[in-house]
Amino acid sequence: MAGGDNYQIRIEVGRGANLTVTTAAAEKVYRSLGPDTEVGVKLEIAEGGTLAWLPQETILFNRVQLCRSIDIQLAPNANLLFAEAVIFGRSAMGEKLREGKFVDRWRVKVGADLVFAENVRLTGAIARSLSESAVAKDAVAIASVLMIPGRQDDIAAIRAKAANFSGEVGASAWNGLAAMRFVAPSGAALHRDLITALAVLRAAPPPRLWLN
Amino acid sequence: MCGKERAECVDGSLTSNALYRLMVWLSPAYPVGAFAYSSGIEWAVEAGDITSAGTLRVWLESMLTMGAGLNDGIFFAHMHRAMTRDDAVAAKETMDLSAALVASRERYEETTRLGRAFIEVTQAAWPCRALGKLQKVANRAITYPVAVGAACAGHALPLVPALHAFLAAVVANWVSAGVRLVPLGHTDGQRLLRSLERAVSATAQRASDASFDDLGNACFRADLASMKHETQYTRLFRS
Repeated sequence: MAGGDNYQIRIEVGRGANLTVTTAAAEKVYRSLGPDTEVGVKLEIAEGGTLAWLPQETILFNRVQLCRSIDIQLAPNANLLFAEAVIFGRSAMGEKLREGKFVDRWRVKVGADLVFAENVRLTGAIARSLSESAVAKDAVAIASVLMIPGRQDDIAAIRAKAANFSGEVGASAWNGLAAMRFVAPSGAALHRDLITALAVLRAAPPPRLWLN
Repeated sequence: MCGKERAECVDGSLTSNALYRLMVWLSPAYPVGAFAYSSGIEWAVEAGDITSAGTLRVWLESMLTMGAGLNDGIFFAHMHRAMTRDDAVAAKETMDLSAALVASRERYEETTRLGRAFIEVTQAAWPCRALGKLQKVANRAITYPVAVGAACAGHALPLVPALHAFLAAVVANWVSAGVRLVPLGHTDGQRLLRSLERAVSATAQRASDASFDDLGNACFRADLASMKHETQYTRLFRS
């Protein structure tokens, strides 16, 4: 995708249905000469439905301007496993994302209740921001995973894998959901850590395309 | 330079009552229990990310300008405006979004326990209609910035100085946690607060007229720290 592109996706998972969504390859978002690249994701899961949203990484090129908005609506007893990974610059080629804009807005509702929200915002000198210790301490690959319902048992299982992770992984559960944050030194390290974590959280193995 | 700083100080022309209330409500002695929370700083010290006054300052400046500080400032401002206008829809939206936009269980518990404690104490000692309304929605989580923003609106304390005082109190609480944990001398802590003065003022200005689209967090490792703190073996703090 490039500046000015607008990509909207909407997926509805019906009652009792079970759907896993992934992508064939990493999504690349190129530099923009002016306009933002806009991505909108709307996911709805009906009663008893299950959605595993497991796209491969999004790779942001230098001078990217990506604004992404993700809205998820779950019925009260629907199930969600949601993972999004972002790599700042083509880390495998040693390329850095020096400047740009990345805005990622998540809103997750169960029934009428907003249960989780996130607004990630990195603008301007992104490499300098990423170098800050409270931000990424020079790591270039991040991911967030959200699981609903999510319990203490789920995050305890993630924590038990601590020795297997090559990047930093944090997990927490509250209000019936579990959230995980991954910060890794490279896209490859993040990919491995996500595979390890998803294998714990899912009864099924990760999508085959992830293993290519 | 001096003149500009002075001009910012008198912004909003606080009455003596307003100044008194802000100083009391946002004092570390106000009994909400803020001293028990470190917002993940305790883990960052344990992990070696914060080892000195300098590394603490860098960590806190990120949290203030690219993390929970900015976002709590934006929620404070929205709640203040909603209660001033008596706009129940905007108030509910602000309450819900600020309770949903937290990074971890401990951050959720920190902000909602402080918020609830602030409402109980303030409504007992300094009652106002705005807090009375909030107190009635007992089944809904009320975060700390939402509670203080509502009280300030209920007492007609002007937004910008009130928000500035709120953020100064939040930062002072972080510094206090850092000073105890690293540990640092009390003079170091004060030098740190002096060095963050401009960033606090700028963040308050930025948050005062920001929309929810301006919410922004980049503090991934501060979020990680608050998650990892849950299993920290020896802890002084609840977050």
